[in-house]
Amino acid sequence: MIGVILYLLFAGLFALLLGTVLPLLIRREDKPVRTVSLIATALGSAFLAVAALPVLFSATTVSATLWHLLPGIDFTVVLDRLSSLFLLILGVVGLADAIYSFGYVEHGGHPMRRNLLVSLMNLFLLSMGMVVLAGNMVQFLVFWEMMAVSSLFLVLYDFESEGIGRAGLFYAVMTQLSTVFLFIGFILLYGETGTFALVPASPLASPGALAAFLCLFLGFSVKAGVIPFHKWLPYAHPASPSNISALMSGVMLKVAVYGLVRAVLDIFALDFTSGAVILLFGITSAILGIIYAYKETDIKGLLAYSSIENIGIIFSGIGLAVIFSDLGMPELSTLSLLAALFHSFNHALFKSLLFMTAGSVVAATHTRNMEEMGGLVHRMPFTAGLFCTGAIAIAAFPPLNGFVGELMLFESLFFGLQVVDPLTKVLLIFALSLFALTGALAAACFVKAFGITFLAHPRSDRAVHAEEACRSMLIGPAILAFLCIATGIGSFQIFSALGYDLPLPDMLVVGMLIVVTLGAVVLVVRATASRETRVTETWGCGLLSQNGRMEYTGTGYSEPVVTIFSSIYRTEKKIDRTWLDPDRAIVAGTRAGISLIKFFEEYLYLPVARGTLAVSSLVQIFHAGTLDTYILYIFVSIVILVLGVGWFI
Amino acid sequence: MNGPFIIFALLNVGFVLLISPLFMSLIKKVKARAQGRCGPGLFQTYYTIAKLLRKETVYSSASSWVMRVTPYVCLSMAVVAALFVPLLYVPEPVAGIGNVILFLYLLGIARFFMALSGLDAGSAFGGIGSSREMSLAAVIEPTSIVVLAALAVVARSLNFLEIARDSAGMLFPVSATMILIGVSLFIILIVETGRIPVDNPETHLELTMVHEAMVLEQSGRNLAMIEYAGAIKQTLLIAILVLVLMPFGLVTELSVAGVLFAMALFVVKGSVISVIIGLFESSMAKMRLFSLPNLFIIAFFFSVLTIFIEVFA
Repeated sequence: MIGVILYLLFAGLFALLLGTVLPLLIRREDKPVRTVSLIATALGSAFLAVAALPVLFSATTVSATLWHLLPGIDFTVVLDRLSSLFLLILGVVGLADAIYSFGYVEHGGHPMRRNLLVSLMNLFLLSMGMVVLAGNMVQFLVFWEMMAVSSLFLVLYDFESEGIGRAGLFYAVMTQLSTVFLFIGFILLYGETGTFALVPASPLASPGALAAFLCLFLGFSVKAGVIPFHKWLPYAHPASPSNISALMSGVMLKVAVYGLVRAVLDIFALDFTSGAVILLFGITSAILGIIYAYKETDIKGLLAYSSIENIGIIFSGIGLAVIFSDLGMPELSTLSLLAALFHSFNHALFKSLLFMTAGSVVAATHTRNMEEMGGLVHRMPFTAGLFCTGAIAIAAFPPLNGFVGELMLFESLFFGLQVVDPLTKVLLIFALSLFALTGALAAACFVKAFGITFLAHPRSDRAVHAEEACRSMLIGPAILAFLCIATGIGSFQIFSALGYDLPLPDMLVVGMLIVVTLGAVVLVVRATASRETRVTETWGCGLLSQNGRMEYTGTGYSEPVVTIFSSIYRTEKKIDRTWLDPDRAIVAGTRAGISLIKFFEEYLYLPVARGTLAVSSLVQIFHAGTLDTYILYIFVSIVILVLGVGWFI
Repeated sequence: MNGPFIIFALLNVGFVLLISPLFMSLIKKVKARAQGRCGPGLFQTYYTIAKLLRKETVYSSASSWVMRVTPYVCLSMAVVAALFVPLLYVPEPVAGIGNVILFLYLLGIARFFMALSGLDAGSAFGGIGSSREMSLAAVIEPTSIVVLAALAVVARSLNFLEIARDSAGMLFPVSATMILIGVSLFIILIVETGRIPVDNPETHLELTMVHEAMVLEQSGRNLAMIEYAGAIKQTLLIAILVLVLMPFGLVTELSVAGVLFAMALFVVKGSVISVIIGLFESSMAKMRLFSLPNLFIIAFFFSVLTIFIEVFA
């Protein structure tokens, strides 16, 4: 059995490697090159998913050492229950995304650049898979960096377009920041354990280990897009091609989650305070993420902010697991950790689904602005149906999978309230109410996303001329939509098969009840009600015809929430009036505007950036630009190093 | 699914379907009397639904399947939700039916589709209603969840059926804190059913353009289904309030006499709450949309208080 799993694993990794190399070696412009490469992606992802499944359900650990790189550092592939879940995520999303990409990749760009896109996509998947499978810190960091670099190039795919360069720069800085924190964290960890193995013999709890944890937590948080380190997400996700956005949001953020869960479970023995810190970061991201998402009119920007929200929910689950395990409640701890992990899986499914369908819409309308869409449900009916499924899943409605994850989190909070001490209770009530708000705002947000994008009259010519996406761009997301429904309805059975007996409602029964009731309602109404139907124009208060200009806009839709939460949005309404007469009776003209302050950018990022600039301008003094000066610098540094090392040894 | 549960399912859903329109008209009657009018008869809502079912359904040419599917979804979700709150007879819970969070989210699906159908016809009225409804729903949600959490803490269960089993046969609420929860639940009932001071179910003027504006484009059999779903939702929320404040009368053993007695008793209890709702509505003025969060904070405060009282008691 283990042999078969390893065989599948390496077949999958090899296929992805092949998919990376092939389009670079065969420098041809025609489609078959990309098709073959994408078939390799699809097969590779499928193999990885199939390899992950038996490990996930039987909880065995599979590992293989390939090379001895250096003394103490082996190149080892380790697949245990935790990593198999994330490998499964990668495999499933990778497969659907590869199928989607058959059609999507052909949507523009020079053919050679398309080849590069396909190649880099394979490399991206491969490096993410290797991070998850890494057996030691060195491997983890190397592939982490490979993941960062390959995704950076993918963000810059369309680099001539406006704003992409800035997005790329932002992403580059943030992703390097994440690597730097991880680097320091791993060095500190090595100092504690004296081994490069990722998982130490027993969990660490010393003060040094706490410092290591803090660095790792920051590194993973930056990569996962936790507020306040989130700013790269709403830049990079809309900028990259949609098949890549799906991978970044669906898989890459989960790789960061994997790192954190690994650290929390196996590397460190954390106490209440660390758990509370993770929880607070999680809640902040969840609530602010969805509040910002609601305001967005860029459809991919909205999805990016919603990813921040979901990562926040996942982090909160992890934080709760730490808190409950410190309080000696292993069952609740397991429940919240499973909630976090199940939500990671779910979010990977529905967010990739949403990014893919949003990508089809953007490809059909050539705009990302929701205010220029509308009426697409008639022009792109299948895409609309798939997006709607994703929206129902992400808005957490039963019996789809998003609901089950959130229900588990709610239940762990509800049960927790019954047992903990008053102070913790305050924390839990705080978390509970903010989660509830997050959940409800997510529903509102996706009513807006689906309603403004797909329903009613087209709001621009671009939307009028939109056409349904091609078959591959429907099949890819359709796989994910099916899985969203299947894993939701089968959630109880899945957890039983995994060996967890959770206090969850049986969604299969609920789902059947819904179907039976729906059928009964349809039959009764058909039998009793009048079937007369008339189609006519919407009543427009006596106007001759209704058009897109009279509809409710996306901005208008979010206005009540923007007003209620104006202190968070920092909305400023400005009205300037000029008068014709000194008594201010006759108005000559009025200018009004609403501005939203970008809080984190203005108060956190820019000061840091300015500080960095100031420091670097100091350094600039030493940069004369002549070669001999630089040689002198190198010489001086080497002398200092030698002296320093000699002093310490 | 065992025998008693199937009997419960049929009994509960049947009774909810039968009785829901009655409370709707009763509240209207009370309000009319408070204003010095005579008001409609108690069976008016039944007549209205029957009339609407016979009428032609008009769709906007801009609308899609969303508009056509929404009424069926709304009514089905209300009917499924009717399985979660026992009115007469309480069986052993099966497969997690009765879970309070699931109940809340089932009602959420109906709202989700209704909000989408508000946008579907492309009329600005529907958009306003849809946007406001979702915003209010978002702002009330923390309160609803914390109230349910308080209920779960007090009753030590997350399941309406279990809560009802514990309290069935008791003359008074299980604990004094239940009265605090009752106050919060009443505010949630007012918000969820779109009544004054949050919304006004009688009009769709600009000031009260929330729920009624959202369903403005619905007509004929579809409107009948949505109205019926609204009536069921109201009955279920009343039933939860009854469960918390006046639990006596629920039977845990099946018997014809017991069930008939419970039916009569529920009609009386439901009527009492309907009259209170009617009087409450008559004595209040519509609040400004943006001052509504203050009202929700009251309910939130009461439920947090409940949780704390339970800790120190």
